[in-house]
Amino acid sequence: MSETMTAEIADHPGIRPVADEQDRASRKASSIEMQGLHKRFGRDTVALDGVDLDIRAGEFFTLLGPSGCGKTTLLRILAGLEEPDDGTLVVGGKNVTEVPPHQRSVNTVFQSYALFPHLSVRDNLAFGLKMRGLPAAERNAKVDEIAEFIKLGDLVERRVDQLSGGQRQRIALARALVCEPDVLLLDEPLSALDAGLRSQLQVELLRVQKRLGMTFVFVTHDQDEAMVMSDRIAVLNGGNIQQVGAPREVYERPLNAFVARFMGHDNLYPISARQGDRLTTSLGELTAEDAGAGDLLLIRPETLDLLPGEVAGDNHLTATVGERLYRGSHAEFRLEIGDTTLQATVNNRGRHLPEVGETVTVVVAPEDLVTLSE
Amino acid sequence: MRKRTLHRGLTAFWWLTLTFLYLPLAVVVLYSFNSANSSANFVSFSLRWYHRLLGNEAILSAFGNSLVLAISSSLIALVVGCVFGYGMYRHRHRKLGWLIVLIYLPIVLPDIVFGISEMAFFVQIHEWTGLLQPGLGTMIIAHVTFQIPFVALIVYSRFVGLDPTLFEAAKDLYATPVKRVVHFMLPTIKPALISAFFLSFTLSVDDFVISFFTAGPESATLPIYIWGAIKKGVSPEINAIAALMIAAVALAAILSLAFSRRRPT
Amino acid sequence: MSYSGVMPSARSRAMVRETRHLLFTVTPGAFWIFIFLVLPSAYLMGVAFMTNGPYGLPQMPLSLDSFERLAGFGFLGWSPGNLYTLLRSLWQTLVSTALVVVVAYPIAYYITTCREKWRPLLLLAVVVPSWTNQVIRTFGWMNLLAPGTPLSGLAESLGLVAPNMGLYPSNFAVTLGLVYNFLPFMVLPLYGAFEKLDTAQVEAAQDLYASPMRAFWHAVFPQTLPGLLAGIVLVAIPAFGMYVIPELLGGGKGMMLGNLVANQFAGASNWPLGAAGAILMLLATFLGLYVMRRLGKRLGGGEEVVI
Repeated sequence: MSETMTAEIADHPGIRPVADEQDRASRKASSIEMQGLHKRFGRDTVALDGVDLDIRAGEFFTLLGPSGCGKTTLLRILAGLEEPDDGTLVVGGKNVTEVPPHQRSVNTVFQSYALFPHLSVRDNLAFGLKMRGLPAAERNAKVDEIAEFIKLGDLVERRVDQLSGGQRQRIALARALVCEPDVLLLDEPLSALDAGLRSQLQVELLRVQKRLGMTFVFVTHDQDEAMVMSDRIAVLNGGNIQQVGAPREVYERPLNAFVARFMGHDNLYPISARQGDRLTTSLGELTAEDAGAGDLLLIRPETLDLLPGEVAGDNHLTATVGERLYRGSHAEFRLEIGDTTLQATVNNRGRHLPEVGETVTVVVAPEDLVTLSE
Repeated sequence: MRKRTLHRGLTAFWWLTLTFLYLPLAVVVLYSFNSANSSANFVSFSLRWYHRLLGNEAILSAFGNSLVLAISSSLIALVVGCVFGYGMYRHRHRKLGWLIVLIYLPIVLPDIVFGISEMAFFVQIHEWTGLLQPGLGTMIIAHVTFQIPFVALIVYSRFVGLDPTLFEAAKDLYATPVKRVVHFMLPTIKPALISAFFLSFTLSVDDFVISFFTAGPESATLPIYIWGAIKKGVSPEINAIAALMIAAVALAAILSLAFSRRRPT
Repeated sequence: MSYSGVMPSARSRAMVRETRHLLFTVTPGAFWIFIFLVLPSAYLMGVAFMTNGPYGLPQMPLSLDSFERLAGFGFLGWSPGNLYTLLRSLWQTLVSTALVVVVAYPIAYYITTCREKWRPLLLLAVVVPSWTNQVIRTFGWMNLLAPGTPLSGLAESLGLVAPNMGLYPSNFAVTLGLVYNFLPFMVLPLYGAFEKLDTAQVEAAQDLYASPMRAFWHAVFPQTLPGLLAGIVLVAIPAFGMYVIPELLGGGKGMMLGNLVANQFAGASNWPLGAAGAILMLLATFLGLYVMRRLGKRLGGGEEVVI
C-alpha cells in the first residue's frame, strides 16, 4: 500500500467525490450541535461536565485528550451507545438525544474494529445494509463498490480471522462508509497499528473524508495525529472542553497550560512581574509583541535562534548548552540559564551546532511569545 | 539419565491407569458376547443377549424414555439456560452474588440430596394439589434443573470471550433488538449452544440417582432398568445394554474429538 | 464537581430499563432453580425437624428425634449402627480422596510432559469412561471383582480374602469404585495447574536447591496447590454423599451415609431421619463451597476452579 495506491483510491469513480460547494451542500453530511452534555458513571465519576460544542457539516473534527478526559464518552453519546444524563444532541438539525443507536444515521469505526467473527468479510460489509432492509442485489452491488474503493475487492470472500491488522482497519472503515451515514465516528481507529502503517492510513483516511465530504468525528490521544488530520480540534480534559480551534491555533496559541503541555510544549515560565509588554520570568526580562493577560509565558522551542558566544541585544539571553540531541534534520538543545532550563530546536542547515558546555545566545522574537493562564 | 527413568516410570504408570480406567468397561463389552450365562468365565462368542434385547419390551420402553427425557430436558434447559447465561453476561458488572450461588447450587448439591428433596417435595405437592405425579414430567423438571447451570455457564463464557464492542457494532449498524439476537448473538454463540446441548444430553443420559428418585412406575429409563436388573440378580442381558451404551459414549467421544479438531482456533 | 442535584430522568430511566432486562433474562432460570431445588431442599430441611409418622411420612410436632436417631439413640437404647455408617462415610471419603490424589498427580503431570497436540487426546482418554453411566461403570467392577474372577482368584491365593468370597461386596470394593469414579475430577484441575506452571521458577529452584526433591517441594508443589485443593473439593463432596457405589459394591457392611438417607425414603421409611442425614451432607457441601469460594477469591476467578 503505497502513495500511488492512495492516489488511485482518490481517482476511483465508484464513490463520487465532491465537485463544488453546491454539490457539498447537497450531500448528506450533517452538522452536530451539543449543548450542556453531562455524563456521570457510578456515583462520582464525571465523564462529561457540561459540554457545548458545534461541529460543522463536512468537517474533519478531532476530539483530543488524555485517557479519561471524556472524549470517548462524547463519541459514544454521538453514536447513541451512551445516553447523556443531561443536555441535548442535535445531528443534521434533528434532536437525537434519545434516539437509539440503530435508528441514527451515524456509524462508528471502533478501536477494536469489532468485525463479526462469525461472518465473512462480505457479510460484515453488508451487515448494516441488511439490517436496514436493503435487497440482496443492491447490497451486493454496494459492497463490491466499497470493497473496490478501499482496494480490498479480492478479500471479500475471506474470513475475518484471515485478515491483517491494516486490512481489518480498512474493512471496519468500509463497513461504516457503505451505510453512507450523515456522520462517521472514529474511535482511535489507528491506535492498534504500527507507526508506518499508521501514518499511511492517516493520509488515506484524510483523502477519503475530503473526497466524500462526510462529517468525520475522530477521537485520539495523539496530538500529532490530530494536527495532521483535522480541520478543527477540541482539546478535552476532565470532562470539559479546554479549547476548540484549527490545529495551528491550538498548537501555537494554546489557551491554557493544560492545552500547551498536551500539545507537547515544555517551555512554560511563570511571569513574576510585567510592565506593559515587558515580562519578567526566571529566564530574565523579555519583550512580547502581543502578550495577552496570562500569567504563564510560553516559548516554543522551534521559534528560538542560537548564536555562538555572548551577543548583547534586546530579547537576547545568554545560556549554556546542557544537552544536545542530534536528530539529523534538526537538533534539540537543553539550555541552562541560571537555574532555569529552556528547550530549543534548531533546523540542521549544515551550520555550526553548539557543543555541550558551549556558551550561546538565545534570540527570542517578540512576536512568537504567547502568554496563557494556568 | 535420571530424568529418563522418571519419564519411563510415568509412562508405565499412565498405561497402568488407562488399563484401570477401561478394564471395567472392556469386561462389560466382552461378557456381552459371552454365550454362557456367567460373568466369571468367557465360554464362546455369541450374540444371543443382543437378540434377547430386541424382544424385551421393558428395555425398549426404557430406551424410549431415556431418549424422550434427554432430548426434551436438554431443549428446555437450552432455552432457559441460554437466556440466563446472556443475562449473567449482560449484567456481569453488577453484584450478582445470590445469582451465582443459585447457579452453582445444582452443580454442587450431592445427587442424593438433590434427588430425595425433589422426590419428597413432589410427593408433598402431589398430595396437596394432584399436580406433579411422579413420571416423565417430574423427571424432565429435575433434569432441566441440573442442566440449566451448565448451559448458562457455557453461554456466559462464550459471551465473555467476545469483544464487547461487537454488541455496540451491531447496534451501530442499524440492528434492532430482535435483529441483534437473530443476526448477531445466536450465530455467534452457535458453537456454544451446540456443545451445551450435547453436554445437557450427556448429563441426562448419565444421571441415575436423580432420575431414580423422581421417576414414576412407568417412566423407568435405561439406567433405572439396569439398576433394577442388577438388584434382581445379574443377567448377561445387562452386559449387552451396557455395552451398547458404552458404544454410544465412544461414538460421542470420537465425534467430539473430530469436532474439536475441525474447529479453527 | 459542578454538576449535582436530583438524579436526572434519563439516568433513572436507563436504570429501570437495565433492571427490567436483568429480570427478564435471569428470572426464568433462577425461578426454575428456586422452585424446583431451593424450595425442595428447604422443605427437606423442615422434614428433618418433624416426627416420624406412619408409613415413614413426616408429621407434627417438631422434634429433634431424627438427629438423636442419627446419633444412635433409638427405641432400644443406644446402638452404634448409624454412627458406624457416618464414620465409614468419612473414612471412605478420606481414603479414596487421598488415593485419587496419589494417582491423579503423576497422571496430570505426565500429560503436561507430552507434546501439546496430544494433550487434549490424553485428557479425553482419562475423561471418557466417566461419560458412561455410573451404574454401568460400577456394574463393570462387579463383574471384575465377583467371586471366581481372575482378580478375586489372585486375592484368594495371596490370602487377602477368604476362599470363595470374592473381592466384592466389601469396603475395599467401595474404595476402589470411588477412586475409579472420581479420578477424572482430580486430573482435570491438576492438569490445569501443571499447564500454567511457571517453568522459570522450577529452573531457578533447581539452580538454588539442587536436589530435585527439594526443588519440587519449593517450586512445583506450591504452584499446583490451587488445582489440588479444587480437585479435593470436587472429589470429597460427592464422595461423601455417594449412593450408587456403596449400594452395589458395598453390601450390608459397606453402607455409607447416602444409602442410609436413601433407605429412609424407600425400604426403611423414615423421612425425618433421612432428611436429617441429608442435612449433614448439605453442611458438608456448604463447607466445601465455602472453602472453594475462599480459594476462588484468593486465586482470582472462582468459576475457573469449579468447572
